[in-house]
Amino acid sequence: MSSLVTALEKAGLREYPILEGKIKTVVAALDTFKAFLFECKAVGFSLCADLMGVDYLEYTEFMPERFAVIYNLLNAKNGERILVKVYVPDAIKIPTVTDIWRTAEYHEREVYDLLGIEFSDHPDMRKILTPEDLDGHPLRKDFPLGETPTLFREGRFLDPSAFRAGLSGKDTGLSGWRGGSRIDSSLIPKLPTAIPVSKEK
Amino acid sequence: MAKVKEKPVMPKLETRAEVIIPQERSELTGGSGLLHTEIMRLNVGPQHPSTHGVLRVVVDMEGEYVKRVEPHIGYLHTGFEKTMENRTYAQNFTFAPRMDYLHGFGYELAYALPVEQLVGAEVPDRAREIRVLLVELNRISSHLVFLGTGLLDLGALTPFFYTFVEREAILDIFEAIGGQRLHQGYFRVGGVAKDTPDGFEGMVKKFLDTFDAKVDEYEKLFKTNPIFLERTQNTGIMSEAVALDLGITGPNLRASGVALDHRKTTPYSGYEQYDFDVPLGTHGDSFDRFVVRVQEMRESAKICRQALSRLKPGAIQDPNRKISLPPREELETSMEAVIHHFKLVTEGYHPPKGEAYVPTESARGELGCYIVSDGGSMPYRIHFRAPSFVNLQALPVIGIGGLFADLITVIASLDPVMGDVDR
Repeated sequence: MSSLVTALEKAGLREYPILEGKIKTVVAALDTFKAFLFECKAVGFSLCADLMGVDYLEYTEFMPERFAVIYNLLNAKNGERILVKVYVPDAIKIPTVTDIWRTAEYHEREVYDLLGIEFSDHPDMRKILTPEDLDGHPLRKDFPLGETPTLFREGRFLDPSAFRAGLSGKDTGLSGWRGGSRIDSSLIPKLPTAIPVSKEK
Repeated sequence: MAKVKEKPVMPKLETRAEVIIPQERSELTGGSGLLHTEIMRLNVGPQHPSTHGVLRVVVDMEGEYVKRVEPHIGYLHTGFEKTMENRTYAQNFTFAPRMDYLHGFGYELAYALPVEQLVGAEVPDRAREIRVLLVELNRISSHLVFLGTGLLDLGALTPFFYTFVEREAILDIFEAIGGQRLHQGYFRVGGVAKDTPDGFEGMVKKFLDTFDAKVDEYEKLFKTNPIFLERTQNTGIMSEAVALDLGITGPNLRASGVALDHRKTTPYSGYEQYDFDVPLGTHGDSFDRFVVRVQEMRESAKICRQALSRLKPGAIQDPNRKISLPPREELETSMEAVIHHFKLVTEGYHPPKGEAYVPTESARGELGCYIVSDGGSMPYRIHFRAPSFVNLQALPVIGIGGLFADLITVIASLDPVMGDVDR
């Protein structure tokens, strides 16, 4: 507890609210949170255990912004842990923490991939888990689940019902393959059985 | 007369990382010198036996030396988190063990603990001890797979057969208790699904009685083997500072000498009542990562023995009928029980608004489940802090500089499970 207050004082951010619970949570502001995280590392939170994002679009309560990014910091010496929560508006880039903890590199790529929150100055801001040509960010609450076709770039899509029909063998499905030859035999031009031999010589 | 050219002196292969590749123009390459400077890009995986699943690693090599490593992950991404957000809390126990298929009980426990914190469920003593017993047995089986397949990657075929004999004994216990060998789905919020079968304690006791001697046997198989020592000692060294910077946890961090074990620092599920040691490494090389895990198997067996002795008859679920299903025999006599059963199966329970995270110690490192509840019967947001996902980041850092064969050793010693990486 005391180390957390020291970090807050050092960063000059004493007004940050601390939510008491099983794990203490600090709600930080978007423009100053990085300075606070830097001080957190200085007072002993040497390990950034986790970094995750939440989409509050359909939450039953009013939230300050649409997204939140939660930093899960751990003191490797005594197991003390704090959560730092930053609310992020839609389509706003937030500063990366890869220069404080290198482990944030994969975490930030995951948050970008699944929630679409971009991190500025990240060394390698690419998707990490989903296919490269998948359109959209799956963990956003407005990303459809179930019977909606999954969109890929360049107009390709995956239709769930057609996919399932293909698996059950009732329909041709996506590939049109139902076991056996992939080619429809009626479409193959028939070869003449006997080659006519020209008699003119 | 042509002058006899002086042969370039090859550096001695003592410190592997500092070998200088000769850049002189050679007659063998037509005087171009290109043979020595060309960097070869090698694609390992995704279907390679030594990548433990579907890990694809793109390696830039200069001769036999690794210059750059880039892991490509996501081949096993199944969107578990999105799926779990659309299922009730009880249904999600099916998904939890399928992420890390080698340490499934660890995932079930990591999922159960925050949900219990949210709904305020009380876990009876017997259920807690059964949980600890199963999680530790599962840790042993996971480390046995690590040891068997890890040594298999280094070319040692025999240990694989030795370790899988013991693993089968553990999987038989799991089959007796949960009906399946890998994905049990046996834990419930507020306890476990049903009581242990007859003869369960005898099975575990029989296994534990002979297990320590088996660990000695495994150690004999690899610890003094000169080829194993040559390939693992001083390769893939991860210092304490680098490990903390990369967020490494679990046996990989303890091999670097940091005594961080969540079973000790922030005990959960009654771990504070058990007496066990935390094995530590000194150098942080691949050898230490192998040895720490083998020692951990002994400690886990110790915990199992204590859990077995503490196992007393009693309740196995929270008696609160708003959380746990009524027993089968009650359904025939009590209307209340039928109503509760119907409500729990169709709708499930509604934890109050809030967020919960409980860190646990998986076989691979810190494993935690962050749950955001909006008061509904399904988690609003669920996020798993997967240890393998984080540990894999060490590969581009500690895998470079050595021989290609050392990279395979490093992958084996980091023990990634791709289901855990991609989720």
